[in-house]
Amino acid sequence: MRKILLLMLVVCGLLFNDAPLFAQQKTITGTILSEIDSKPLQGVTVQNRQTSQKTQTNSAGFYSIGATTGQQLVFTFVGFGTRTIVAGNALTHNLQMKEENKDLENIVVTALGINRSKRSLGYAANDVKGAELAQTQRDNFINGLAGRVPGVTISGTSGMPGSSTSIQLRGVNSLSGSNQPLFVIDGLPVNNQTFNANNMVAQSENRTVDFSNRISDLNPEDIESLTILKGPEAAALYGIDAANGAIVITTKKGKAGAGSISYSYNYGVEKVGRLPEIDGVYARGTNGILNNNAINAATNSPLYFGPKYPDGTVKYNNLDNFFQNGIVNKHNLSFDGGAGNYTYRLSTSYSTRSGVVPNTKYDRINISLTGTGQILKNLKAETNLQYINTKNQKVSKGANSFYLALLSFPTDSDITDYLTPSGARKKLTTAGTEIENPFFDVNKNKLNDKGNRVISNLGFVYDPLKWLTLTGRLGIDVSSNEYFVLYHPEANPRANFGNTNGSLDISTQVNRVITGQYFATVKQNFLDNKLKLTLRAGSATYVFDDNVYSIRGENFLEPNFNSINNTTTTTQRTKSIKAQKRVVGAFGDFNLSYADFFYLTATGRNDWTSTLPESNNSFFYPSLSTSFVFTELLKKSGITDILTLGRIRGSIAQVGKDASPYSTNPALEAQAITGGGFSYGFTAPNPLLRPEKVTSKEVGMELQFFNNRLSFDGAYYKSKSVDQIINGLRISYGTGFILKNINGGELQNSGTELIVRGTPVKSKSLTWDASVNFTKTDSKLTKLPAGVTEFYNSDTWLFGNVRNGARPGGALTTLTAQFTYQYNNNGQLLINPTSGLPLTTNNAIWPVAGDRNPDFRMGFYNSFTWKGINLNFLWDYKKGGDVFNGTGLYLYNLGLHPRSVQNRETNLTFDGVLKDGLENSTNSTPNNVSIIPYYNNSFYSGSVIDQEFIERDVNWLRMRDITISYQIPARLLGNTKIFKSATIGFTATDLILITNYTGGDPGVNGTSVATGGSGSMGIDYGNLPVPKTFNFNLRVGL
Amino acid sequence: MMKKNTNIIVIGCLLLTSVSCKKFLDVNKNPNGPSTADPALYLPSIQTNWAAGLQFDGRLIGPYIQNFQHSTAGIAYDIYGYVPSSDFGGELWRSVYWKSGMNTIDLRNAAREQKKWDILGAGLAMQAWGWQMLTDYHGPIILKQAFDPLKNTFDYDPQDTVYAYVKRECMEAISLLDRKTDAIGSPLFAKFDLLYKGDPLKWKKFVYGVLAINAHHLIKKSIYKPDDVIGYVDNALASNADDAIVPYNGTNSTDANFFGTLRGNMGVYGQSGFIVRLTDGTIFNGVKDPRQPIMLNPSTDGVYRGLTPALGQSSALNAATNGVRSIWGTTLGTNTVTLGTPGKYLFQDKVGFPLMTYASLQFIKAEAALVKGDKVLALQAYKAGINASLDYVKTFTADPTAIATFNTQRTAFLAEPSVVPANPANLTISQIMLQKFIALWGYGFIETWTDLRKFDYDPTIFTSFTLPATLYIDNNNVPAYRVRPRYNSEYIWNIDALKAIGGFDANYHTKKLWIHLP
Repeated sequence: MRKILLLMLVVCGLLFNDAPLFAQQKTITGTILSEIDSKPLQGVTVQNRQTSQKTQTNSAGFYSIGATTGQQLVFTFVGFGTRTIVAGNALTHNLQMKEENKDLENIVVTALGINRSKRSLGYAANDVKGAELAQTQRDNFINGLAGRVPGVTISGTSGMPGSSTSIQLRGVNSLSGSNQPLFVIDGLPVNNQTFNANNMVAQSENRTVDFSNRISDLNPEDIESLTILKGPEAAALYGIDAANGAIVITTKKGKAGAGSISYSYNYGVEKVGRLPEIDGVYARGTNGILNNNAINAATNSPLYFGPKYPDGTVKYNNLDNFFQNGIVNKHNLSFDGGAGNYTYRLSTSYSTRSGVVPNTKYDRINISLTGTGQILKNLKAETNLQYINTKNQKVSKGANSFYLALLSFPTDSDITDYLTPSGARKKLTTAGTEIENPFFDVNKNKLNDKGNRVISNLGFVYDPLKWLTLTGRLGIDVSSNEYFVLYHPEANPRANFGNTNGSLDISTQVNRVITGQYFATVKQNFLDNKLKLTLRAGSATYVFDDNVYSIRGENFLEPNFNSINNTTTTTQRTKSIKAQKRVVGAFGDFNLSYADFFYLTATGRNDWTSTLPESNNSFFYPSLSTSFVFTELLKKSGITDILTLGRIRGSIAQVGKDASPYSTNPALEAQAITGGGFSYGFTAPNPLLRPEKVTSKEVGMELQFFNNRLSFDGAYYKSKSVDQIINGLRISYGTGFILKNINGGELQNSGTELIVRGTPVKSKSLTWDASVNFTKTDSKLTKLPAGVTEFYNSDTWLFGNVRNGARPGGALTTLTAQFTYQYNNNGQLLINPTSGLPLTTNNAIWPVAGDRNPDFRMGFYNSFTWKGINLNFLWDYKKGGDVFNGTGLYLYNLGLHPRSVQNRETNLTFDGVLKDGLENSTNSTPNNVSIIPYYNNSFYSGSVIDQEFIERDVNWLRMRDITISYQIPARLLGNTKIFKSATIGFTATDLILITNYTGGDPGVNGTSVATGGSGSMGIDYGNLPVPKTFNFNLRVGL
Repeated sequence: MMKKNTNIIVIGCLLLTSVSCKKFLDVNKNPNGPSTADPALYLPSIQTNWAAGLQFDGRLIGPYIQNFQHSTAGIAYDIYGYVPSSDFGGELWRSVYWKSGMNTIDLRNAAREQKKWDILGAGLAMQAWGWQMLTDYHGPIILKQAFDPLKNTFDYDPQDTVYAYVKRECMEAISLLDRKTDAIGSPLFAKFDLLYKGDPLKWKKFVYGVLAINAHHLIKKSIYKPDDVIGYVDNALASNADDAIVPYNGTNSTDANFFGTLRGNMGVYGQSGFIVRLTDGTIFNGVKDPRQPIMLNPSTDGVYRGLTPALGQSSALNAATNGVRSIWGTTLGTNTVTLGTPGKYLFQDKVGFPLMTYASLQFIKAEAALVKGDKVLALQAYKAGINASLDYVKTFTADPTAIATFNTQRTAFLAEPSVVPANPANLTISQIMLQKFIALWGYGFIETWTDLRKFDYDPTIFTSFTLPATLYIDNNNVPAYRVRPRYNSEYIWNIDALKAIGGFDANYHTKKLWIHLP
């Protein structure tokens, strides 16, 4: 094959070379390949030292330069150092160049899949190696990013297998819409939706059900690298969907040469995470009187205000009896290889994880095939085809969930005994309504999703001329998913929409995203190759198509058979929801680099979107960024012996955002009521919508010392978003609607990101790499539509009267709360003279009561390599930020929280003054009314306001993951003749959590990612904490 | 340089793609529903949601008017309070502005365009009814600025403005319903009109009913004209056959009556002591009301008992044989019942919910005649009201024995002078109010409340009606006179306008309505 290539090159060389043969000067041609992966290297400078003539290799790595025998040709390429050859008689000189240490890290994949050297970028771009994420053995690779990269906030919904995860780059940019970045695989956007429960016939909130976010379908083992482009600067070329940044994933490709097979196996055990503390001291009842039927009417949970359990009461460890060990099994098998100009990689994976909660399970099969081919000398093709099959069994979360029922289950009852001998639900009380035994819930109610998905990419790169490259890509992402929510006939009617005798909601979703992209790249060098110009222009098309068919049935004929065919036909209802969106974009990008120290990039994009009214549907947004490598100018001073590289950078960019489909046009909804007919939906059509604009500025500095043994990278950014399209703004019903999409809010966002990397030790046997990153983000809501004083998302109003509410002048991450204490003019607590309890104000306009935004976050990464052994671990530190402990408040109201157990039998007097008319006079009456809560449990509903359960400044230090691996030396494998390489390892995730939070896991999220804005991060209500996982793995290469 | 380049690109692309691009991007027409529909197709949702609005809110004012009480002691609505930061009690607001709102506007526009004067008349009539109910419930409401697509906040209009508007809208409806030409009589009107199957004559009677209510509620005002009221009633519903009743299929949770057992909302409510006293002979000389066994539930020991407001009932008593049963006749305190549990009277899955009845209008006429001084007419209307109610309630049983008992008791009941005085001169306002209360029990919440407010919950008129000893903390010992506008509509998103009418005052719900002030 190589010979053919040579021959081709020679032929080409001859074709290009029409110089007379008798001349001394001849044309030398050749191809420069990377020594690591034999890929052609584009942009290598080839200079004839004697004549100073210069050229660069094209995308096929090909060069052609004039030289006479004996002249020296110098090949230089950023990150690959310099090579010199002496021209001989041969007309062809091929060369393989090797990357210099760490310099591969200096190339990043940016928008449109363009490789650029980091030094030329005017904005921060962080990259993460796929292997680093894969080694954590998490199903959802997004969870592996937490703490690893500055400026990235990850929050998982719960510790359930397959639960959705929210990822935010640089904080909250949208008040109500999605703040999730765009995911791009091999240059093309893919779908990362989380199914919205509102699409079901009768499910209407994202609090109690959670469906996976679709990017978790990806097999982490197929990821070569991942680049995080955080601001709109980085994503200006991707268009509107990248307004929240982009995560650019490059998949693994095959390597030419002998085929190789690698296999890895992982076995893991999961243990339940940090649970809240529950004090089972008092038995059920009220006011100190035993009553096993005492129920909290709001939550249907037992009240524990009875007497202490008598000595000798048989107590059950219900928590331990309920949770089980989760088991993880993963197999990955991949083949790769290639011949000549063609490579392939086939990877298959099967992963199954059963969670710590009975009946939770996540199964995934991935098959991925990647091929690259140099079809013609100047035409290269690349294709990737993935098939993904997922199956996820979940259980309830939030209100009325198994988890709250478990926490409040009486310790003197055996939780495992949940069915009567006849198989019916066993009841705890003789009262009509009560909590459901969690075993009954997880065994009898069903919540699952299944998916089949195919993602296919095809890309062509064609170099018709030396200075011109044409690139075209087409991507198709098709998925079909089924979502299933079943309540058993005996399940809690709150969840069941009444006494329906069982209900089943099924949604089938078929989703298709087609993306097309083509662009031309022109490269020209001037001024002795000192000035390099690149101009790119192209167009992109995005077509989104989503069809959901939902069906609901009630009244099961056979109580334990789970099919829509088992529901009574007259109860069946259907619903169809279609959504379509199309965007056409035209973009241009202009790069200038001067003498490898000054870089300037300007981009511009115009989008035409289908979702805005025709008069407003076209919008242009530019960006400008620059990078200045000042150390290039200091090369002679010797300072570069210490400061290897130093640069400053800056950028300013704008991006527009469009609306959700159908926000502008009215549509009637079919009614399932008696008589049928049509009626308007919740949301007012708004034919006047304009695009929303985000303008972002960023400055940064990067310093590398001692040949990159130590480096520092810092960025500060500020963005402003105007004309925010607020989706579903709740509004006065005077509009005739409940919600309206309007251009309203204005907000600002700023932050600092730092990363320091170093290699403190680097010897032949031992290497220690370490890095520390730091993130601080701040947001401010500067404006809301007239007449609106608070923006809140009702999905986040989960328990008590605390919710995610933002008010102008404050952050976007605040909590608002309904009740506040009353104080006199001296700031003393006012006490009700009759009850002795503090007086509260019931605020119609809720004041801000907390802010979930942390002061800062840090990540600490360490990796030690000693001979074949590698140990690495990642710590994630969060300082500050409030968390609403809704679960704690729930337990407090029931008398189970430690605060409602301690001092219950003591005589308590609140420190304050009586509101007796004298409270603001000089002789106010100190409170003298004392209470013994034991005899009056209204103390536990009247003495605290909900916001007392907002825990202030919650810090955490988590060991996100720790891995130790041992690469078995080749000499030991030599005897086997089968294995080329073998590694064994151990990985633990979420092993250590040190926090001042008194509840379970402060990192959970009260609703699913489908809730927009700042969501329910920092609202802890009824969510299973993230489990600890211990993995043993083995990796062999054949 | 850059700007120039991008401009070239943009212009180039525009030229190449402008025509096809426009077509390609034209996919924003919502495929999930039509943008407009035949005017008749809007009717079922509007009508059903009126009933739903009254029923949802009936859980708040049902206890205010002591139709039924909550099983938990001290609940806010048993003590004439409200649930702060909650939409509880704001359902009629939702029905009128959202479920009726733009749908009615569309209906009117389409009907006018298609010259379907009958549907247009019905649409106006329905909207007038909605405003009437809403203002009697909340007082000042958003009227003139409502549904302006350019507005996001809305000023309130005082009650007198709403009253005048309702009257005008009714008059217009009547003139439209009188029209006999053009596209009237569409088969879709007959099919989708749940109330009157597209009968314009019945709709006209309905409009007169609204006018009667509108005119009669001004009884405390100097502008009150009893003759107008009597005239309107005489043109309104002529018998029970004209009653406006929203029907329910009751096959599943979306098309069942909100009050029924399937929906599971009413198991925590039990009949009030007041309605028991009115029907078990306590107040009427020991004469049993024949309607009692059909409307109310005895304890399992067979004795009729009712709940005292604010006291609830302990869980022990819920289970005991002498405990008050739920309004469905099931164990009080739980909404969980077996599917298929029948419920009782209006609290059943498939039973229709009355919006306006012949009986209620006859009681209005009786009161107007009494004010006018025409006691003969008053007694005549009063008797018609009682008989209509008896006839209506009787339809809820098919059991021949029960019917026989009913008929016997009916005779005795009507012969009792404290119920029906033989001499018209002896008819009292208290008798009218009490018999009207019984007749409207379980559905006529707003009308009953208007009566109670009109007489300031006077126990000498509403014999034995007792307010709880301690009212809601913000009430300053005054019972409720209005309901706060819907929390999530107004208290968060329309603050300035609401402040202007004092809506943020802690005791706003205790302020009297304009109609109840002299």
